Amino acid sequence: MAVPQSRLQALHKLQTTLFSQTYNPQHLRTGNKILRQRLRGPAIASYYPRRLATMKDLKNAYKNFEVGVDMQTWDEEEEERLERVGLKKLGGKGAPKKKGAPKAVETKDKKRKK
Amino acid sequence: MAQFRSKKLDLSCYINVGILRDHTKRKVFAQYETQRQALRYIIRNTTLPQRARAQAQLELSQMHCYTRSTQINNRCIEGGKSRGVLSDFRMARYPFRMNALEGNIPGVKKASW
Repeated sequence: MAVPQSRLQALHKLQTTLFSQTYNPQHLRTGNKILRQRLRGPAIASYYPRRLATMKDLKNAYKNFEVGVDMQTWDEEEEERLERVGLKKLGGKGAPKKKGAPKAVETKDKKRKK
Repeated sequence: MAQFRSKKLDLSCYINVGILRDHTKRKVFAQYETQRQALRYIIRNTTLPQRARAQAQLELSQMHCYTRSTQINNRCIEGGKSRGVLSDFRMARYPFRMNALEGNIPGVKKASW
């Protein structure tokens, strides 16, 4: 009881339409393999742990949010840095002025070199 | 490449130039992955005209090397080492051993029988 080839092909065609597959009887390379692949980008890009928010970000976010003493924040490192810079300026070893900036009032010991 | 590097540091692990570079490559790859896959599809599809396929080939080969997945190399998040990295734990063999012995890695235990 041989089934004719054309009949089998028709069945195959019907199957592909029913199961929403692509009908490709000649087995042509249509590159669908590429389209079936999953995107690896998100998994690859999340390899290293990301920095979500720093104390600085938190401080900036709540800059205009004054409720009381409890909400006040401080940055010890920044304070230390400002102190260091202030001391340097007193000793005449501060950073030079910006080119376009207006001239500041000259202090007495500006030119002194250690 | 500096053109792809993020202006603000967005990593919280150990940082050296290798890790910074690899992280940038990963982000660039994720950004351009769909474009690469589309070009790859055009190239592999034999039913499309030969001219379009050749153009796609050229375009794919002329994309920046940072958009390629082969540029990416797993690095140790504890010390930035690129060799001997256990990809399951994202750590090189020695930091892995230290963390495992301290019990910082759940489910890992020194074998003894």
